[in-house]
Amino acid sequence: MKSTKRYEIYRTLIAIGIALALGYILILITVYPDGDMTFVEKMKVAFKEANESFRTFLLSPILKYRRGNWVFNLRGFIQWINESVPIIITGLAVSLIFTAKHFNIGAEGQLFLGAAIATGAAIYFPSIPIITPIVVILLASLVGAGWSAIPGYLKSKWNASEVVTSLMLNYVALYMGLFIIKTFLRDPNAGQLVSLKFSDSATLFLLNSRYRWHSGILIALTLSFALWFVMKKTTWGYKVRLIGNNKHFAYYSGINTQKTFFQVHLLSGAIAGTAGIIELLGYYGRFVWLYSPGYGWDGIIIATLARNNPIYVPIAALFLSYIRVGAKTMGRYTNIPPEMVSILQATIILLVTAEAFLSQMKQRAIEKEARKTEEAIGGELNG
Amino acid sequence: MDNTVLNSIFSWDFVAAGIRVTTPILLAALGALVAEMAGTPNIALEGTMLFSAFIGVIISGFTQSLWLAVLGALLTGIVMSSILAYFSLKLKTDIIMAAIALNIFASGGTIYALYLLTGDKGSSASLKSLVLPSIDIPIIKDIPILGDILSGHHILTYVAIILVFLVQYMLYKTPLGLRIRSVGESPDAARSVGISVFRTQYTALIISGMLASLGGIFLSMGYVEWFARDMTSGRGFIALAAQALGGTSAYGVALGSLLFGFSEALSFSLQFLNIPYEVTQSMPFIITVGALAFYAWNKAKNKKNRDI
Repeated sequence: MKSTKRYEIYRTLIAIGIALALGYILILITVYPDGDMTFVEKMKVAFKEANESFRTFLLSPILKYRRGNWVFNLRGFIQWINESVPIIITGLAVSLIFTAKHFNIGAEGQLFLGAAIATGAAIYFPSIPIITPIVVILLASLVGAGWSAIPGYLKSKWNASEVVTSLMLNYVALYMGLFIIKTFLRDPNAGQLVSLKFSDSATLFLLNSRYRWHSGILIALTLSFALWFVMKKTTWGYKVRLIGNNKHFAYYSGINTQKTFFQVHLLSGAIAGTAGIIELLGYYGRFVWLYSPGYGWDGIIIATLARNNPIYVPIAALFLSYIRVGAKTMGRYTNIPPEMVSILQATIILLVTAEAFLSQMKQRAIEKEARKTEEAIGGELNG
Repeated sequence: MDNTVLNSIFSWDFVAAGIRVTTPILLAALGALVAEMAGTPNIALEGTMLFSAFIGVIISGFTQSLWLAVLGALLTGIVMSSILAYFSLKLKTDIIMAAIALNIFASGGTIYALYLLTGDKGSSASLKSLVLPSIDIPIIKDIPILGDILSGHHILTYVAIILVFLVQYMLYKTPLGLRIRSVGESPDAARSVGISVFRTQYTALIISGMLASLGGIFLSMGYVEWFARDMTSGRGFIALAAQALGGTSAYGVALGSLLFGFSEALSFSLQFLNIPYEVTQSMPFIITVGALAFYAWNKAKNKKNRDI
């Protein structure tokens, strides 16, 4: 067990390493100069520029260069943490559903519709400190659970492909959410389509008001721990993991698989439903999205990187938002398109999910462990 | 109710718009069908369309050759599908995960490559790229009404219509189609009678990718005349829905695609009636979920040994 786990860590690190190397090459290609120099000179210039850009990419979320010194970059740091909040939450939602080996990819719709409906409460619910944000977030959570219940019910009851139904419902949620904002909650004085401002007590407590570091990160980390506890320390969590490993075995051990599957969809939707509104309450103070923000898809990347383990989800999410913030900052100082990060993300997903990638290494690790166990048992027997 | 709305719905312009919107969805949906039948759902249609749309514009812009552009786009479809097939069939990546990775790759990769090649990050408007022509059918085009309906469409629209029949024929009348269907139905049973599951699924994915790439170049070399970032805007996923709605026959898939295409065209016209476009736009998705629920319910009812 132990060595296969170590192997998973190595494999993830190797995948990240390959992706970063690829990132360097992409930067190098972008900065390769035109003009009449020799190839060697051009390469020299390119390497120099690529190194600088790559350093910005890797360091800017925590450090910045000021008057010859590297100093702590508070703004970048806060941006990094803030951006990780919604994707930690969707990462948790997706990792739960993936643990049960169901592919409900509806987190995107759940968070969008949840945020749109809860926006109504955030504007009109009576202002009571602490209570208001809790009510708003719970409402979003309820909407998310309800939205996830549709593909969940169709899958667990009649075995309708949850991949397609949840994907379809993402679009319905997008159109419904926009419709709600446009028709009932729109701010008529704003230039673009945004909702009215939330009431003051609905917004989240700020840890730093200058760069709007909001307390969403505390909620996200608490959720991670709570989900980890549920999955690893409760009977229900054990049931879900068992179903994911072998649903037939689980079924014949007397677990009501249909019911558990449905509950998994509900809980996953309840988590995902909060991802959008927490960011809106914390950072924007009103509903601002004209299209889906994509956090549901990010959740899939994160769950994959974290091997569906809730305790690794924040780490994976922080990694993802780190390279994104880095790429954005690099994009501000250079011409390198920040979308380059998507290429790195795709590489990481492909390599991490490819079961046969580095499988020889895994094989060797398992053999080694088996031999060790054998020796240990042999030793006991002989002694 | 005012007549302008009815006039705009029951006009040939509306029909033409519906057909124009349907074409890329139909092409990709046929791709979805072939892959689905082989038991390898192709969620990467979206990315394949996007990358092909991009390659078509780039090649036609730099070489001014339509043939090379189409060839390059088809090749892109083949490459994308090969990556999907290699990772899912050989390296045992979950096919949905691999496809999601490819979609992400296409979205960022096209923007990155667009910048490298043209210096723009948003669209290829600065590049003089070509478009595939529309076709007037001789004689028919002069017949009133019929000529309006049948003639003057984009060449890929005609190709798509022909492909509906070809795909149907391929799936149900050829040995390859039989292999694809049997592999999709039960890989083990197919293997036991000597069919190479890998080769069959690989072939199905390649065909699927090529169909999607035709849908992609329709967008950038017909629907509009340039490439723009994320220009497929979910059409690959809509194609999956159209296939899910249409079931296992190419004709059904064509009807499903028409539903999506025409409801999008309709949503623009209905705005005059104060019916918000969000409602019309989401109707086909709701219908799809309903239809899927109905199929599944029907199947579960008839099957004695339900899946756990």
